Amino acid sequence: MRYLLLAFSVFAVAGISRASGVEKEKKIRTHEIRNAIFVKKIALEDSVKAYKKNRSGRSSFKDSLSGKLSPNTPFNLSMFPAVTLQQYVKGRFAGLNVQESSGEPGTNQTMFIRGAALPLLSPRHVYDAQPLVILDGMPLVNEHPFAYDIQQYNFNRIGPATNVLSNIDMDNIASVEVLSDVEATAVYGPQAANGIILLKSKLADTVRRVTFSSYIGYSPRPGITTINGNYENAFRQRFYDLYTTNGRNSEDEVYPIYLSDSLSAGYFGPSNWSDLYYRNAMSYSINASITGGTKRANFRFSLGNLQNQGVADQTAVNRYSTRFNINMRPVKWLLFSAMVNANRVERDRNRSLRDRFTQVNYFPDLSSPLSPNKDVYGNYLSLYKNGFDDNKTNIIDGYANLGLDLGLIRFDSRLAVNYNEGYRDIFYTRSLMQNTSYASNYYGFNQRFLLTNSAKYDKVFDSGNNFHLELGQSIQWDTYKYNNAYAYKGSSDFIKINLLFSDPNKPDEYLLPRAFPKELVFRFLDRTRSNLLSAYTTGNYSLNNKYSFSTTLRVDGSSNAQPTKRFFFSPTASIGWNLKNELFSKSKQISALDLKFGIGRIGRLNSYDNYAEGPQYMSNVGYTGNVTVPGYNAFAVLTRPYNFGWVGYGIPWAYSNQVNGTLSTAALDSRLRLAATIYSKTEKNLLFGVPDGAEYGYREFIKSGMSVRNTGLDVIVSGEIIRNPKNSWTSSMSFNVNKNRLKALPGDIQQVELSNRLLKVGESIDSYWLLQNDGIYESDAEVPVRNGEVMKFNGSLLKGGDPKWRDINGDNAIDNSDKVMMGHALPVLYGNFDNALTFGKWNLNLNFYYNLGRDIINQNMANRFDFINREGQSNINSVKEITFWEKTGDYSKYPLYNPWSTVLPYRPDQNLFLEDASFLKLRSLSVGYDLTKMARSKMKLQNLYIYTTINNVFTLTKYTGRDPELVDYTGYDTGYGLPIPRTFTLGVKMEL
Amino acid sequence: MKKIILSCLLFAAVLSGCKKLLEVDSVRTVGEENMWNSLEDSRGALMGVYALTRAALIDNNAHWIYGDVRSGDFASPIRQDLNAVIKNSLNASFPVVEELSNWTRWYAAINAANLFIERIPEVKEKDLRYTDNNMKLDIAQARFLRAFAYFYMVRIWGDVPFIITSHDGNFEKMPRESKDKVLAWVEKELLAAAADLPYIYSDNDPQQQGNYYNEDRVRWEGALARKTSAYGILAHVAAWQGNYADVSKYSKFVIDNFGKSAMSWLPTDELTRGNGFFDAKRFNHLLGFNSDYGHEDGSTTGHIEELTLAEPVVTKKIPDIYMVKDSILNIFNEADDQRFSLDTLGNPRNTAYFSNYNGKYPIFSKIKSIQGGQTDPNFRYFTSPIVFTRLEDIALLRAESLAVLGETGGAIEVLNIIRQLRGLKAYDQNINGDLIDAIFKERQRELMGEGHRWYDLVRYNKIKGTNTNFTNLIRSGGIYWPVSRKVLQQNKLLTQNPYWE
Repeated sequence: MRYLLLAFSVFAVAGISRASGVEKEKKIRTHEIRNAIFVKKIALEDSVKAYKKNRSGRSSFKDSLSGKLSPNTPFNLSMFPAVTLQQYVKGRFAGLNVQESSGEPGTNQTMFIRGAALPLLSPRHVYDAQPLVILDGMPLVNEHPFAYDIQQYNFNRIGPATNVLSNIDMDNIASVEVLSDVEATAVYGPQAANGIILLKSKLADTVRRVTFSSYIGYSPRPGITTINGNYENAFRQRFYDLYTTNGRNSEDEVYPIYLSDSLSAGYFGPSNWSDLYYRNAMSYSINASITGGTKRANFRFSLGNLQNQGVADQTAVNRYSTRFNINMRPVKWLLFSAMVNANRVERDRNRSLRDRFTQVNYFPDLSSPLSPNKDVYGNYLSLYKNGFDDNKTNIIDGYANLGLDLGLIRFDSRLAVNYNEGYRDIFYTRSLMQNTSYASNYYGFNQRFLLTNSAKYDKVFDSGNNFHLELGQSIQWDTYKYNNAYAYKGSSDFIKINLLFSDPNKPDEYLLPRAFPKELVFRFLDRTRSNLLSAYTTGNYSLNNKYSFSTTLRVDGSSNAQPTKRFFFSPTASIGWNLKNELFSKSKQISALDLKFGIGRIGRLNSYDNYAEGPQYMSNVGYTGNVTVPGYNAFAVLTRPYNFGWVGYGIPWAYSNQVNGTLSTAALDSRLRLAATIYSKTEKNLLFGVPDGAEYGYREFIKSGMSVRNTGLDVIVSGEIIRNPKNSWTSSMSFNVNKNRLKALPGDIQQVELSNRLLKVGESIDSYWLLQNDGIYESDAEVPVRNGEVMKFNGSLLKGGDPKWRDINGDNAIDNSDKVMMGHALPVLYGNFDNALTFGKWNLNLNFYYNLGRDIINQNMANRFDFINREGQSNINSVKEITFWEKTGDYSKYPLYNPWSTVLPYRPDQNLFLEDASFLKLRSLSVGYDLTKMARSKMKLQNLYIYTTINNVFTLTKYTGRDPELVDYTGYDTGYGLPIPRTFTLGVKMEL
Repeated sequence: MKKIILSCLLFAAVLSGCKKLLEVDSVRTVGEENMWNSLEDSRGALMGVYALTRAALIDNNAHWIYGDVRSGDFASPIRQDLNAVIKNSLNASFPVVEELSNWTRWYAAINAANLFIERIPEVKEKDLRYTDNNMKLDIAQARFLRAFAYFYMVRIWGDVPFIITSHDGNFEKMPRESKDKVLAWVEKELLAAAADLPYIYSDNDPQQQGNYYNEDRVRWEGALARKTSAYGILAHVAAWQGNYADVSKYSKFVIDNFGKSAMSWLPTDELTRGNGFFDAKRFNHLLGFNSDYGHEDGSTTGHIEELTLAEPVVTKKIPDIYMVKDSILNIFNEADDQRFSLDTLGNPRNTAYFSNYNGKYPIFSKIKSIQGGQTDPNFRYFTSPIVFTRLEDIALLRAESLAVLGETGGAIEVLNIIRQLRGLKAYDQNINGDLIDAIFKERQRELMGEGHRWYDLVRYNKIKGTNTNFTNLIRSGGIYWPVSRKVLQQNKLLTQNPYWE
């Protein structure tokens, strides 16, 4: 409460003002825009024309780079056949890096603005590092990672796992901005610590206007090289020749049955599975909108449908969307506006065995993999047809806003609701899994209510000085919930749904299993709630069109913070200096020159309510392979959270200290423009699970005190190479350098060894930790011997056929201390290169996208060589997908180690499998033709634009695996990402 | 102006009550203030200790890999990690081998027991339903489980950190304590627990009247530690220490009193039926931790069946472990053995222990509790309990102790009880050889797949000392497991077992 008071008193003091002035801006806008308008004038008066020209929405002054210098207009973005917001913004905005680890339509992608704020060790960390997406002032709610708690494997979240940012149809959007500077994000509070993607909808309008836009797309099937049992046999034979005498390594050794019978057509015949796995995919999108009304009441209504097929594994997504905006102004000073954005997303998911088995939580006998033969594989695929896997997600966002416009002061009061719910209903018939059928029903929702009130005071003085003051308060209620039930061994393949009797009037059988044995029906319910209470004040002042000052003070209280540390106070300040007006006001050469500096602090929320409890008890006494055991002898248990980790008292808020300075300039009549921001973001008091307390049963102690610093430079250079009324050529490039460092770990420890990572103070958080491979010991005699001791690996003697790992510390033993931190899972330098050309009515756009200084562990390759340990067992390691029969990479690069060795010679944690995954992609190429003139004269249309695009045109990379993008946050290429297709589209945009 | 005032008032109204807003009680966890208040809390916490002990025993099938796989009686066709264990290459880099060298799960059970013993008086204070007697029994069980955990750990790692308070929130690093000291404490602790434990629950035992936690005897059947369980473990502790006089004493207590715990000698059919002894929970589980099908407590892992079963018992091509024919013949070398024996033509006659004898992989199918004792081969969902000890085990321990102490007559008498149960003729030195050998052979046959063999080998070689390799292994500490690198890294006071350095 102390901070609340403090914030308000500052507000009071800040109310210094002078006499009134010109009022040009009377339009109703959200407060961000209103902010923006004032200062834009100060900072960039000279280049206003240029912005209008490239239609780049109204950008906020606080955001110096993106949105201004790049052609990231929704108009341009909407030509990309994207399903999710991440796909729209990928490779387009300065500072934003999007990882698209699978081409499966509608799956999750991750975004990082100016690097990752914390080490990415699990989906929960990725969740905590995601930027906030704000649609029309509503911070959108995301899927909570707590469901992972009941999962042995975290490849997918249970439920539909649909990207909940599939709710954006770019045709409905008026502007897209990426906010990364602290003075721009701070006002949004602790959810904005990782930056913001700010979206604004097209608004209701009095002009009656009907728009229509649509495209159809075609993605040709990718060409691949397939292999069969002969190839695999030949591959393995070399190891058997080298390391066995009679084709067996030991008496008990068995050669896989499926590779033993060379007469079997299933494995040794034609390998043409790819005919069924890959396809020529189609996609299309259609969006129509209408606006109209009177000054007193007007609206915008739109409808859309999008279908997008993946090229692999019959994946697809289908979205229906509708949106309605309304403005009502019963009296002059009162404006009521409301918006509803509703989307229905249905997904056909991939049919990989891994995803199915981990969903089913059961591994059948895996001694015979899928056959590469089309006929056999086709029979297998047909087994899916009698079951189903329905994934449906409804995403609804809406708000109602009441605005009082009293001239100098404006009040806004708003209730926003964000709700998305997912359903997944599965039925796999008995024939699909060894006569065991499986059914599952999942229902879950993420819900956010947000009540905000704000008061704004704006004044433009006679002198031209501007003053803006804003006071706001908000309450946010979040609820996340899921019900998940699954069952095995149904009595019939025809009763597929309604696992439980659902008639409450029959108490005898209510909620009892219907067609499944009751002992094999499992139910999980979970729910978590959190509230966030905030108050802020922000003030901007600009002086003589030369200097601008702004400050934001904010107090947040979170129910996920510990009771003794509920509130967090975060101040931010920035200063801008218009050097053009100061020094070069007469200069013709320099059209704009601005310096800006911001410094501030933003809190970070705990995503789990566990942390608020302090020491606690849970019902979680599972073990490897069965993680969800809640009790013993059918009594629920209560124990300390040994598997989750010890949580103590006195956990403070984590926060992010951010500093950034920007220089932006325009020269040569604004034809050449440059903006460079240097930043430093230091996360403090991050919670981190330190592996500790083994002698007290804990897997880790969850402690506060980790600190990570991201520093970097975002540069955009843009030039209008040709500028004349008919023809133009604008080219822009962005360079984003990001470097992260671990600054501290909890309790002043210097390093922490995790399973395959080392976190060391002073080193990067995204580095790999690898053994250095120097080749092979051809014989036992080559293994170094010192003082009569043969070199060991983790206590096991090294032998001929084992890898020659470098003994970094020279102790004649190879262990973790000989591992070296190297490489980066996240790019050190990334950015894009855009070209927009106009020749009369023709438009040509080229969008390149690149990552440099990024590395991948080619685990897919490691797995192929490690075949001995991945054969015939009934566990996750032995799962072989149909893509096992696809050849990727160059096998000859790798030495032939003894695959039976207990040192695991083909372990992925060695630099043998580390590859440079830098790439350059031509992500999209579009050609458009403006038919407006003809349309107006002949077709009574207002606007008509047709275009065609090619997307994902080519990739330049040194990586020997598949597309280097198809790797998730871990940096380990498991081969599971479905290919990102090359798509050709033909589209039209028109306005009646 | 009115509008402004109105708006401000609204503003203020919303702000008030913010404190309440921020107090959201978690439904996912129980905070400190909501624990240790009632009978239900004490039951939940006590069952928690059992559940954690079970998790420690069966995580990654630890109990059977420690006990059966390591002994080398079984072979593994495809699992390189199990092959490494069979070869005693316990430094091998396989994930399972690394996990088995990690003692964290045992210490979770110990910490839960410590916490229980410290905090349970709070329940007594707050809940009138919680009686003195109930608390006494609960504490005795917690002490029993804690002592059992230490005994188990000493067998695996030798010296272990010895921690008998919870150190809640103030976790001190502890060095390893000598195994002899720990075992001395274990014995004392078990005796103390035994004094308070009843022979049976909810069945009018003099020390436990009425229904324990308002549940009847069937609910508690085989689920909790009893007086006889404590003496059974005491016999094991003494045997591991080579203190055979005590083994004789403690085992006698079990043999004399098993009836009071509703136990009986197990016929072979009961032992090997899918829905027999190794299913659900039984009084005959002298110390067992169930995974009852009816409780939805089964799983695909954490059961010996996961390692041993394959076609034709379940749909799985190759078993993780199997017993080669020569070994089977060598071990089951007496006619008429109901567990496994051949007829005169060399065909299997009794196949209670092994299926598919004539196939490539003879399947060890003594224990096969699939979906609550069904025979469905298609869904490998196992529900067998982990039985640490049973009456026959204690009887054979008794025979062993009497034999070592030179009371040959008594030893043969006890041995013959078991032999008779399994359809064998009485022990005859001329046919069955040395008495100690015969007793250990009987243990090998009777307790196969129950996680005993490795420790039997250690005791056998301590008694006999004829196998130099094994004797060296015992002397050099190679019979223990290495301490996990993860654990060593967390606690600098710990040292690796010298054999595994």
